[in-house]
Amino acid sequence: MCDIYIAVVCSSNMNRSMEAHAFLAKKGFKVKSYGTGEKVKLPGASADRPNCYEFGVPYDDIYNDLLEKDKVYYTQNGILHMLDRNRRIKPSPEKFQVSTERFDVIITCEERVYDQVIEWFGSKRSVYNQPVHVVNMDIQDNHEEATIGAFLISDMVTKMAQSDDLDNDIDELLHDFEGKCHRPILNCIMFY
Amino acid sequence: MASLSSKISITAAQNQLVQWINDAGMSEGARRADNLRKAVELLLHQCSSVLPQYIENILTYYCDKSVDVRKLVIAFIEELSKLHPQFLPKIISQLRQLVSDSVIAVQKRAIQASSIVYRNTLMWICQGASETSEMQFVWKNITELKLVVLNMIDSDNEGIRTHSIKFLEEVVLLQTPSDGAGDEFNLDTLPANMTFIDRRALEEESETIFQLLVKFHNSQHISSVNLMACMTTLCLLAKFRPKFMPGVIKALGDLHTTLPPTLSQSQVNSVRKQLKMLLVNLIKHPSSNDMIPQLTQLLIDIGMTTQEINKVLPKDKRNKRVGEIKNGDAPAKRIRIDSPQSNSQGSDSNSNSRSEFNMLFDDDSLPPTLAKPVTPTEDSIYEGLNNVEDVVNLVTHTLVNYLPNEMPITFVHAYKPIPNSGSKAQKRNLAKMILALINNKEETVPLPVIAPVPVPVPPAPVLSEVSSKIPLLRDDEEKVTLKNAVAKLQESAKAEKQMESAVSRLMEETRQDHLKEEERKQKEKEKPVPPQTPSVPKLKQKVKLLKLQEITRPIPKEIKERLIVQAVERILKAETEAAIGGAAHIRAKFITIFASSYTPELRELVLNYILDDPANRIDLALSWLYEEYAFMQGFNRHPVTLQPKVHEKHDQNYNQLLCALITQICERGDPLMESSKDMLLRKVYSECPVVTDEAVDYLKHLVMEDKVALLALELLEELCLMRPPRAHKYVASLLCHILNENEEIRDVALKSILKIYKRSTDAVRKVIEKHALLYLGFISLNHPPPELSDNARGVRSVWTDEMYQMCLNLVMALLTENEELIIEVARVYGCAGSEAKRCVLRGVEAPVRAAAAAQARALSPAFVALLDECPRGAETLLTRLVHIFTERAPPSHELVSKIRELYATRVSDVRFLIPVLTGLTKKEILAALPKFIKLNPMVVKEVFNKLLGLQNPHEENSPVTPAELLVALHLIDPSMADLKYIIKATALCFAEKQTYTQDVLSAVLQRLTEEPEIPVLMMRTVLQALTLYPNLGPLVLNILQLLIEKEVWLNKVAWEGWVKCCERLVPQSGVLLAGLAPRALAALGAAPRLQAALQAHVAQLPPHQRAALPHHVLAFCQQEMAPPQFAAPMPIPMGVPAPVPPPMLVEPLPPGME
Repeated sequence: MCDIYIAVVCSSNMNRSMEAHAFLAKKGFKVKSYGTGEKVKLPGASADRPNCYEFGVPYDDIYNDLLEKDKVYYTQNGILHMLDRNRRIKPSPEKFQVSTERFDVIITCEERVYDQVIEWFGSKRSVYNQPVHVVNMDIQDNHEEATIGAFLISDMVTKMAQSDDLDNDIDELLHDFEGKCHRPILNCIMFY
Repeated sequence: MASLSSKISITAAQNQLVQWINDAGMSEGARRADNLRKAVELLLHQCSSVLPQYIENILTYYCDKSVDVRKLVIAFIEELSKLHPQFLPKIISQLRQLVSDSVIAVQKRAIQASSIVYRNTLMWICQGASETSEMQFVWKNITELKLVVLNMIDSDNEGIRTHSIKFLEEVVLLQTPSDGAGDEFNLDTLPANMTFIDRRALEEESETIFQLLVKFHNSQHISSVNLMACMTTLCLLAKFRPKFMPGVIKALGDLHTTLPPTLSQSQVNSVRKQLKMLLVNLIKHPSSNDMIPQLTQLLIDIGMTTQEINKVLPKDKRNKRVGEIKNGDAPAKRIRIDSPQSNSQGSDSNSNSRSEFNMLFDDDSLPPTLAKPVTPTEDSIYEGLNNVEDVVNLVTHTLVNYLPNEMPITFVHAYKPIPNSGSKAQKRNLAKMILALINNKEETVPLPVIAPVPVPVPPAPVLSEVSSKIPLLRDDEEKVTLKNAVAKLQESAKAEKQMESAVSRLMEETRQDHLKEEERKQKEKEKPVPPQTPSVPKLKQKVKLLKLQEITRPIPKEIKERLIVQAVERILKAETEAAIGGAAHIRAKFITIFASSYTPELRELVLNYILDDPANRIDLALSWLYEEYAFMQGFNRHPVTLQPKVHEKHDQNYNQLLCALITQICERGDPLMESSKDMLLRKVYSECPVVTDEAVDYLKHLVMEDKVALLALELLEELCLMRPPRAHKYVASLLCHILNENEEIRDVALKSILKIYKRSTDAVRKVIEKHALLYLGFISLNHPPPELSDNARGVRSVWTDEMYQMCLNLVMALLTENEELIIEVARVYGCAGSEAKRCVLRGVEAPVRAAAAAQARALSPAFVALLDECPRGAETLLTRLVHIFTERAPPSHELVSKIRELYATRVSDVRFLIPVLTGLTKKEILAALPKFIKLNPMVVKEVFNKLLGLQNPHEENSPVTPAELLVALHLIDPSMADLKYIIKATALCFAEKQTYTQDVLSAVLQRLTEEPEIPVLMMRTVLQALTLYPNLGPLVLNILQLLIEKEVWLNKVAWEGWVKCCERLVPQSGVLLAGLAPRALAALGAAPRLQAALQAHVAQLPPHQRAALPHHVLAFCQQEMAPPQFAAPMPIPMGVPAPVPPPMLVEPLPPGME
């Protein structure tokens, strides 16, 4: 199982999943990233007025939109920089629930996202009976934590890729990794 | 055109296909896989028409070296079965082979494909478009494949297990009839005309597989991933096949209470999360309607609140649920079980919740129509089994009616004797099985009900036949591996399909029994014991968290303590052994630690051990003391585990131990100890880290004991000397014995204190001084304080000299060391009574004398201060002190000036000056002379001695010469001192013949004659001098002559003296008489001797001289006889003074005593 297919999922497919996506892609993994939220949400002028976009609206469009709205503000809080990075990775944020791909491992960045992923799997019948490991690692939604999280995810994925038989080793692998990263990890197996 | 172009493209595609297939044949590994993939794509989607032609080209690669290629083949098979099921006969055998591939990844892919192929196969068969022989072939293969996969659930590889679970799920789904809308394939869709397919058998098989899944799901050694896969599968089955619902819910409930022990915490979290999610999904699903109460209870157990559950529930179910759960609601609230995070394995609350859950389950699982008024319960059956008659009836009935004629072979193989027959546990087990049997019979009426092995039970006639074929499953059922179970199941499936369900049910029942039995045991044990993990060597050992606290039970406190005591006893006994083995040191360390860190019983034990042979074990005691001390001071800390409540005031332990040791040594009274008591006490007191107040008090108390009083005093002294930092505390205990009734103790104590005082620090000195002053202060009281007269209760005792002495002892002893105390002494003296004063004076003598001796000439500052201050009423003391100071050495200038000052300002008593007389100036002395002579004769004598340099050891020069003194005496104004004092004083002078020699007297006399006024006593002195030294006659005559010139006859007293002198000096005085004036001569008339003398004088004169005589002289000579009245002498007190008695060394009387 040297060629695992990975999905990194967070809620908006903006920060955490994209950070990990960029990092894993750089390392040469087959990776895609998704969001599970209703909408793509970015911090707005105030906490109660976030900027919301539909999944599928290109990063570029969002970038320009925000650039128009308040260039200084969004430059300062790093959103524009993040969007700039994102648009160079892939065109637009994708919603996990509509993807038709079949992954070997899905990594979620938050327990709520993990729940949504599992729920989605639970809501449909498996057709291919192809197993997928869903692993959750909590990462706070900010730049720094996202970077740290990406490192950790990369570590974990590297370990997974090194395994000859991931299905057989996953329990032990995650247990070891958990001991190393000192973060609680949730995992389960689902079927496509 | 279109058809043409498509034809062209198909041709092109075919060419391409051929190209790729050829390329694949030429290349290896990844390249081949790549080419094949493209070929397969083309073949399946574009060139399906040529499939029959090329299918073999692809399939031949099923045993290719490359894993990718083989997987590709599998994918091809999978797709083919879906798109072109008519090729199934061609591909099925390859698939079968691939399922048993050597590479796990391929195996997994094959299993994954199998489930799809299986489904497609069944659908293909349903269509019935193909030949029966083909179908039969495929069916046979797929059935074999199924069995292979079924066995894989016991694989070593977790991934394969996962896949096989999923496969089995598919199988179960496919082989069971669906009661819902037949939207997809189920057993009912299968045509009935297929002779080779036994629908009933398939259904039974699915039941078995379901039970197998449940069993796998609940096994102890399942990995978390597979567990979750299994859970998902079971829930899926429950959703789509509601008949499994109760089983699934029960399995999930069991899982919740007994999670596999091998899971780590986060795995547990994941599993619980999964469980919750699945249950929520289940409860939402319409098929779970009947099971709402159980599901709700389970959700509550997991930690969801009723509100949360209500939120999850679809609206139409909610009302129903409320009605149903009403009864269960109270307990539900009560048992808000642990959150998903907490590991709840085997905890009491969980077993509670579980039983609750099961209860709910059991009650509701019985359809209401079947719930008879009298339902047999396990207990009632158990009761029945206790009745011998009933049992006999049962057995005979079975023997007669249901025993088969021949013993079945399986029975022979499987039968094992019941190990615990007749025991309570076995009876209970039996009761359970019978109950299960009865319930099963009621539920699934058409099915044969099976009795568990050798116990024959009545119900159906079929039973006996069946029962013999059932593999024996009892308590050790867990140990029968799944594989065996499966094999047996297969075997029996062939033999008799019907039995399968029975077996699986039995398996389940027995398992439940087992679980219940375990649960009961757990309850008995109070402490939760995790379910035994069966050793399954085949399984890869996952992260095992061995929880010691769960598999062990804490020893009860009492037993623990008893064990400790016993252990220590053994260590104590091993004294010699330890010494021989060279472990004596370690042993001692152990003992001290035990004694200091554990229970009071241990302390006592060790203490007694030490006291059994204290002489030899005193070192142990001391090291224990040090250990306690370390704890007391916080150098050591008791480990938390060793801190029972009794140790809360462990700072007391040290003190208690010390006191216990001391008192026991003193009071045990066994002869062995008696001899070494001194040594032991001394050792304890001198070597212990700190002597507590109580220990000192005890020592103080010991002084009262006759035997050890001196020892105690000695120890106290040692303590003070050896432990300077706390000596100020210890010394107080010694000080109180200064007032002890016993003189010996008093003396010893005094000596000790003096010794300590000399060597100690200021703090100790202060304490001692304080006490000394306190005792000193007593003497100024009217009555002795209670310290002194402790036996006088109520009655006020009276001071005695001895009491005063006791009070003064200490301070007097200290005086030599610290002279400053003298000031205090003087202050107290000032206000003390006369008796007390006398005692002070007496007492102060020796020390002051010693001090004076030590100090030679310089005056000590303390004394100077005292002189400066001179407390009121202490003058006598001061005098005495000055006296003592000047006894040996002449008074220093300083002293003299001080005293002079004092005399001038404060002290009017002239006696004050006496000691320093020699230091005073002549003028001062002479000024004070009139006062001196008025004093007690003794004192006067002393003063004169001093002034005259008599008894003078220091050879100092008196400021006044003896002559001057005598002259001064004569010159004293009679108004200032009575004449008699002066006379006495002069008498003293004359008594000192060595001093007042002839020369001195003559000088005095000459000096006196020079006085313009004749001093009153002059003539008396002249007479006395003349008496003493007759040789002075000429001088006296001279004086007399001079006096004549001064017309002495005018002074009556002098004249009388003059006359007397003359009389004394007859006949020489005749000349004088001759020179007398007529008046004087007339006065002479009264002295016939003189007259005669004059006459004789005149008579012997040569005539020319006689002629020169004044005529009144001649006339006087002519008088024959003087008139008689002149004969009587003057009544002047003129007697020669009696010799002065030698001065006695008398102490001056204190003031008021004179």
